[in-house]
Amino acid sequence: MTSLVSARNVSKKFGDFYAVDHVSFNIEQGRIAGLIGPNGAGKTTLLKAMLGLTDCQGSLSVLGLDPFKQRKELMQNICFIADVSVLPRWIRVSQLLSFIETVHPKFSRSRAEELLAQTRISASAKVRELSKGMVTQLHLSIITAVDAKLLVLDEPTLGLDIIFRKEFYANLLNDYFEEGRTILVTTHQVEEIENLLTDVMFINDGKLVLDATMESLPEQYAELMASGEDAERARALKPIYERDVFGKKAFTFEGVAREKLQELGEVRTPGIADLFVAKIKGAAA
Amino acid sequence: MIQTQIALIRRELWEHRAIYIAPIVIAVIVSLMLITGQVAVSSFDQALDIAILGASNLGQNERAAAITFMMTATSPMFLITMWIMTIFYALDSLYAERKDRSILFWRSLPVTDSETVVSKLLTALLVIPLITFVLIMLTHLVILTIVSIWLAINGADAWHLIWRAAPLFDTWFATLIFILTLPLWLSPFIGWFLFVSALAKRSPFLIAFLPMVVLPMLEKIIFGTTLFAQAFFERSVRMPLFGGLDLPDFMSDTGIDKKIIAESGLSLVSLIDFGGFLATPGLWAGFVVCGLFTAAAVYVRRFRDET
Repeated sequence: MTSLVSARNVSKKFGDFYAVDHVSFNIEQGRIAGLIGPNGAGKTTLLKAMLGLTDCQGSLSVLGLDPFKQRKELMQNICFIADVSVLPRWIRVSQLLSFIETVHPKFSRSRAEELLAQTRISASAKVRELSKGMVTQLHLSIITAVDAKLLVLDEPTLGLDIIFRKEFYANLLNDYFEEGRTILVTTHQVEEIENLLTDVMFINDGKLVLDATMESLPEQYAELMASGEDAERARALKPIYERDVFGKKAFTFEGVAREKLQELGEVRTPGIADLFVAKIKGAAA
Repeated sequence: MIQTQIALIRRELWEHRAIYIAPIVIAVIVSLMLITGQVAVSSFDQALDIAILGASNLGQNERAAAITFMMTATSPMFLITMWIMTIFYALDSLYAERKDRSILFWRSLPVTDSETVVSKLLTALLVIPLITFVLIMLTHLVILTIVSIWLAINGADAWHLIWRAAPLFDTWFATLIFILTLPLWLSPFIGWFLFVSALAKRSPFLIAFLPMVVLPMLEKIIFGTTLFAQAFFERSVRMPLFGGLDLPDFMSDTGIDKKIIAESGLSLVSLIDFGGFLATPGLWAGFVVCGLFTAAAVYVRRFRDET
């Protein structure tokens, strides 16, 4: 497999503060990677560095290019949605398509028009006349019509209602995600993308605290529901996190054999959201 | 490359529609003023008197001069509007995209920051003047047509008195040169406005103009000299395109006088000293300043991290 993104000891400092602190990872072609972290964890800074919007220390290569120095070449093969509101409000849909058609060698206007025909967005409408959900639909249609190798989504569904959110990810999978295309997504609404992801990364305080494939999670992590004495014995196995669930205790374990845990109670693979909390809060405790 | 530049400039016209709406409004106002006879701003009335009432008695040269005068008298309104619009445009051009946060979208496209900033500079230096010029030409035609109709109603030979006498192409050519060289002469200001537009977190207008007031004052207080004030003032009023004429002369209706026009052999173009303009060190110094500020604007757009 080829690495689309390869980061070695990437850091970004603001004064004495490390927004991104010596982070290393790879993203392989054809994967859907989730970058998950609390506010201020360095997610956006890391994405910006990958998109060439900010410089950084360390070695960072995206599609074999230096993102900061070769931004124009990079942008021919990368699409990103940074936030729902970034499309200029004064522009007409048709103007937007004409503009991108001229400046972007890999944009197919007919494909975009085809996708927009399935929505209620008219070509003569201005962006400011569209609802928030429609703006996101428009943006997704545009980037889907770009034959890009990597799509970066930074909180793409922020502020959208649940129907639009579901539709967004459905469209993303159906229309965009094809052979050889790669997606990197950050979001707060972890549950919504859990089933989409092939890879997951957690970032906290600028550091990568988890970098794993979804398939490998059940081998590494387990969640045990236990109560009473069993709970005490579970605690002795050094869970990374513990929480209360309906009078029982839920323990999250890392690298503990399932057979051992199964004697103490019900064992399952933790959801991304629970694992995330366990990793972040567990590290803090 | 050129394709991208054209697309970028077209984009500017979509966003800043005032670039063509403002001169259209001026053109309509000027034409209406002539029709209603509400001549308030310029000395159209005087010009009309000569052109219309006195026209048949005047010689060919005086008539041509009177018509040229009548045409050029419409230019100041266009030029003042153009310059105000250029200031607002340049100050808004790199500020609005940050305010509405669309900058991230624009930067997600394969267009470099230099290409974007250059398109904004070209819009200010070239596109705004050219659009204004086209509307000045159209206004001339409208005015002459109205006057012709007036003459025809009064039984005079408009073709002979107006159209054959009017040195249209000479006036247009001179206007074109003037309207294209004016932004070049003022380019250090345009560069400064672009830079402020890229830099300002808020109120770019204030940030752009405050130093122009404060710096000369500080200089006067601290050093007792007035170099800044002189530089600003000289640059603003004295464009070395017309030998002895200053900008205010050209802008007002007293300077380019019928007599000067008549004496010039009926040619505005002959008044233009283009070689002298190009040989002015101040022009090239201005280009350098404009270039430095534009490069600084590119740098800021590229390196600033908004978070």
